[in-house]
Amino acid sequence: MKAFGNQSSTLPSTSSVADAIATSGLWQVFGAGAQEALAEQLKTGAASGDVASALQDRGLIPAVQDATFNVAPGELFVIMGLSGSGKSTLVRCISRLVEPTAGEVMIGGENILTASKKRMIEMRRNTLGMVFQHFGLFPHMSVIDNVAFPLKMNGVKPAARKARAAEVISMVGLEGREDAFPRELSGGQRQRVGIARSLAGNCDVWFLDEPFSALDPLIRRQLQDEFLNIQEKLKTSIVFITHDIAEALKLADRIAIMRDGRIVQIGTPTEIVLNPVDDYVREFSRDIPKGRHMTLAEVMEPFDGADATGPTLSTAMSLEAALADCAMTLDPVAVRDGDGKVVGQVRPEIFAKALARAE
Amino acid sequence: MSATDTISSPRSYHVTSAASAGLITLLIGVVCLVLEPIAPWLVKWPAAWSLPLAAWIGEGLGAFLNFIKPTMRVLSWLLEFPMGWANWVLNATPWPLLIALVTALGWLLGGLRMAALGALGLGFVLGTGYWSEGMNTLALVFVSVPLALLLGTGIGLLAYEVPRVKNAVQAVLDIMQTVPTFAYLTPLLLLFGFGPVVGLIASAIYAAPPMARNVLLGLERVDAEIKEAAVMSGGTRTQQLFLVELPAAGTQVMIGVNQCLMAALSMVIIAAVIGGFNDIGWEVLLTMRKAQFGQSVMAGLVIVVFAIVIDRYSGTLALARKSYDKRIAYGLIAVGVVASVVTWGQVSNTAGFAIFDGAAQVVDDAVGAFTASNGASLDQVKNGAMFYVLLPLRIGLDEAILPFTWGFQWTAAYSGIFFAATAAICVAVALSGRVALAAVLGCLAILLETGVSQLPWPFVLVGVGAIGYVSGGWKLTRLVMILLACVLISGLWERALLSLYLSGAAVLTCAVFGGLLGLWAAVSTTAWRIIRPICDMLQTIPLFVFLIPVLMFFQIGEFSAFLAIIAYAIVPMIRYTRAGIATTPPDLMEAAEATGATYWQTMWEVRVPYAAPTILLGLNQTILYAFSMLVIAALIGTTGLGQSIYIALGQADVGLGVAAGAAMAILALIADRLVQGFAEERRKALGL
Repeated sequence: MKAFGNQSSTLPSTSSVADAIATSGLWQVFGAGAQEALAEQLKTGAASGDVASALQDRGLIPAVQDATFNVAPGELFVIMGLSGSGKSTLVRCISRLVEPTAGEVMIGGENILTASKKRMIEMRRNTLGMVFQHFGLFPHMSVIDNVAFPLKMNGVKPAARKARAAEVISMVGLEGREDAFPRELSGGQRQRVGIARSLAGNCDVWFLDEPFSALDPLIRRQLQDEFLNIQEKLKTSIVFITHDIAEALKLADRIAIMRDGRIVQIGTPTEIVLNPVDDYVREFSRDIPKGRHMTLAEVMEPFDGADATGPTLSTAMSLEAALADCAMTLDPVAVRDGDGKVVGQVRPEIFAKALARAE
Repeated sequence: MSATDTISSPRSYHVTSAASAGLITLLIGVVCLVLEPIAPWLVKWPAAWSLPLAAWIGEGLGAFLNFIKPTMRVLSWLLEFPMGWANWVLNATPWPLLIALVTALGWLLGGLRMAALGALGLGFVLGTGYWSEGMNTLALVFVSVPLALLLGTGIGLLAYEVPRVKNAVQAVLDIMQTVPTFAYLTPLLLLFGFGPVVGLIASAIYAAPPMARNVLLGLERVDAEIKEAAVMSGGTRTQQLFLVELPAAGTQVMIGVNQCLMAALSMVIIAAVIGGFNDIGWEVLLTMRKAQFGQSVMAGLVIVVFAIVIDRYSGTLALARKSYDKRIAYGLIAVGVVASVVTWGQVSNTAGFAIFDGAAQVVDDAVGAFTASNGASLDQVKNGAMFYVLLPLRIGLDEAILPFTWGFQWTAAYSGIFFAATAAICVAVALSGRVALAAVLGCLAILLETGVSQLPWPFVLVGVGAIGYVSGGWKLTRLVMILLACVLISGLWERALLSLYLSGAAVLTCAVFGGLLGLWAAVSTTAWRIIRPICDMLQTIPLFVFLIPVLMFFQIGEFSAFLAIIAYAIVPMIRYTRAGIATTPPDLMEAAEATGATYWQTMWEVRVPYAAPTILLGLNQTILYAFSMLVIAALIGTTGLGQSIYIALGQADVGLGVAAGAAMAILALIADRLVQGFAEERRKALGL
C-alpha cells in the first residue's frame, strides 16, 4: 500500500495546495490479489479503460477507476451516478472508510492515505463529517447523545458537548426532540439528526452519501432547501453523492458524473446540461428544462447602448426567469453584472436560438 | 445430440446420479448379505480390526489432564470462594426478603406479569419444601453464568475482531454444542475431583457457546452505516466496539444472555448426576432412583419453575422495554424486609412452610392407583410399540418375529418371500422410470430384514456416503465417510448403531407427528394457541425432568427412553413446520387461489414446497435434540453410546467417555450436515 502511494505521488498532479480535496489516480479494485494485479497493469502505462478491462478479465471488480478531481474550499461538489456506478465506494475511498487500492487523496493538503491511524482519528474528530443514506444513527442513544457522540470521542466535557449538541440540533430544527430515540423519529427527522451529528465537530470537509435518497419527495425538497441554507452559513467543502440528476443540478457548484466506476464528465450544472460529453450524460438531462440551467451570461450579446431601462436582468439569471420578466418586450434588454453595471443585452431571437440549441 | 436432449439433460443427469448412488448402496447391501455365510466380516466389523482408540485417548488425555491438574486444582480452590459466598448469601437471606427482591426485579423487568410470575414461582418453591436445595442450585447458576458470559463474549469478540480465526472458532463452537453434556463431565471429574465445582465449570463451558454465537451474530448484523458512523465520529477501535457496535447489537446479545442462563441451569442440574452436592438435581435423581415419584415430580417442578422464571425474566431483556415505576419495587423490598423482621426466628426453618408436602403423597397414590388399574393397557401400549416397531427396527424382522411377539416364527422362507416381493416391486418401480426410488425401497427392505443394529458396515458406510453425495456432492461424501470410518475403527461401532436406531426411531416419529401437529397449528389458530404454550414449556424444561413422567408410567427401559426423547425432540419439528407453512407470502397464496386451486391444492402444491427448507431445518434441530436427549435417557436404560458415556462417568474412564462422546458428536454432525445439505439445495432451488 505504502510503496504504491509513494509511487503515485510522483505522478504529475493537477491539484494545488489550495484545494480542500484533491484526488488523483484513485482506484478501488475488489477481489483477491487486487493490489498486485493493479500495480502490474498500471506499470504497463495502458489507458485506464484498458487497465479496467484487463482487471475484469481476471475476475476482479474495478469499482472506482482512476478518479481524479478536486474540490475548492467552500465548493459543493456533487458526484452523480446510477446505483452500481461506484459513487458510494468513491466517497468511502475519500473518507478512507475503505482503503483505496491505489492513488492519492489530499485533504487540506495532507495525503490521508498515508496518514497514521492516530492521525486519521484526529482528522475524523476535527476535520471530516459524514452523513449516511440510511442515517447510521446509534439505536441505543437519544438524539442528543447521538449528536454529541463525536464530541465525546474528542474528549469534550459533558456540559460543553451538551451545549454544542443543543446548538446544532436547533440548527437542523429538532429542538424539543433531544431526548427521543431514533426509533421514535420519522425518516426526515432521523436524517436531521444524522446531519446534526456530522456537523457537531465543526468539520471543514463534509461527505454526504445520498443523504436524501431514502426520504419521500416532499421531505426531500424541504431538507434540500435547509441544507442549502446551512451550507450558505457554514461554507464547508462538500462532496455530495446522489443518483438524482434534479437534486444534483439544484445543489451543485460542480457535478461529476460516474458510470461503471469511471468519472465521465465533470462540469457546472450548465455545462452538464448544455454540453454533455456523450449520450449517457445527455440521457440524464433529457427531461431537464434547459432554460432553467442556462444563465444570461452564456447567451447575451455585447451591449450596443440601445435601451438600459426596461426589466432588470442580471448575468446570473436563468433563461427561464429572464423570459418570464421580458416576455412582453420585443426590444433588446440590458443585462447587468453583480455590481449593477451593464455588461450585455438580450433580444427575443437570442432566447429562441439558445433554447433551440439546447434541445 | 438433439435439441430435446440438451434441454432435458441436466434433469436426467441429476436423477441418474441419485439413482446410481442408491443402486451402488443397494448392490453393496445385497453382496454383503449374500456373502455373509462365507465372509462374516462383511457384516460385522471384526473386533480384531478395531484400534484401541478409547484407550489411546484415555492415556493421552490422562497425561495431559494430569499435567494441568495442579493449575486446575488451584482454580477449583479459587472458585470455591465465590460459590461459598453465593451459597451463603442465598441461604442466609430470609425467604420473605428474597421473594420480595425477585418480585421487585420482575416488576422492573416486565411489570405486573413478571412480578406475579416471580412471586408465585418462588412461593411454589417454598411450598414444596425444597427451598434450600433450590438455593444451592441457584448459587451454582449465579456463579457459573458470569463466567460463561465473560468467556462467551470474549470468544465472540475474538472471532469478530480477528476474521482469520472466525471459521475455526465457529467449528469449535459447533463441536462444543454437539458433544453430549455427560461427555464433558468425565475429564472434568478427573481434573477437579468430585464436588460441585465440576458442575460449575461444566456449566460455564457448556453455556459459553450460545453467548459467543449470539455476540458474533449480533455484531455482524449491526448496520454497516452505523459502524461507519462510529468510524467517522473519530472513535478508536475500542470505542467503536464498546460504545457503538456492542450496544447496537444489544437485542441479539440479550438473546445470548437468555440462552446462556438456560444452558447453565440445564447443565448444573445434569451435573448433579455425579452427586456429592445437596442440590435440586440430585434430589430429582435420588427420588427417581427410589421410585418416590411424588417427591421427584415436586423436585422436578421446582426445576421447571426456576427455568421458567429465569427464561421469562431474561427474555424481557431482549424486548423493547417500558420503564416501570421504581417506587413500587422499593415498596416490595420494604415489605420483604418488614416480613423478614416480623417472622424472624421462624424464617430460617423453611421446611415448616412446605405446604405441598401432602401433594407428593397424593401424586404417588394417584400414580399408583392409575398404574394398578390401567397396568394392562399401559403394558399393551409399551409392548405393542416394542414388538411391532422398535424391535424389528433394532434387530430386524428375522429376529424380532417370534411366536412370543408376533405369534409366529419368521423363517428363511419368509425372508425369501419378503425379498422376492421387494425385488418385484423394485423392478416395477424402476421400469416406471423412478430408479432412485426403487433403490431406496431396496435399501429399506434390507434395513427391515436385518435391523439397524445388525446392518453390514460397508452398507452403512456407502449408504451414508450416497446420501451425502445426493445432498452435498463429493466434498460432503468424503467428510461423512471419513467421520463414520473413525467411529467404525474405534470399536464403538455396534454401540453407535444402537444409538442410531433409537434416535432414528424417535426422529422418525417426531417427523411424522411433529409435522402433522405443525401443519395443524399452521391452518388453525386455535390449535396453535393450544400447542404453542406446550411447546414453550417443553423447550424451557431442562432435559432431566422429562424422565420423571415416563418413568412413572412405563418404568425403566428403552420404551421410556424413546418417549422421553420424543417429548423433547418433537418441539422444533412442530415449530418449524408451522412457521414455514404459516409464513408463505400472501401473494403466492393469492396467485394460487386466482388460478383456481382449492385450499388443499394450495397447501400441497404451493405452501408445503415453499416451506420445505424451513421444515428441513426443523428436522435438523429435531435430530440434534434427539441426540442430546439420548445421552440423558441413558440414565433410565438405553444401550448404545449414551450408556457408554454414562458408564465412563461412573468409572471416571476418560478415554471411553471422550471417545463415546466424540462418536456421538460425529453422528450428530453427520446428520446435521446431510440435512443442511438438502435444506440448502431446496433453498437454492426456490431462489431464497
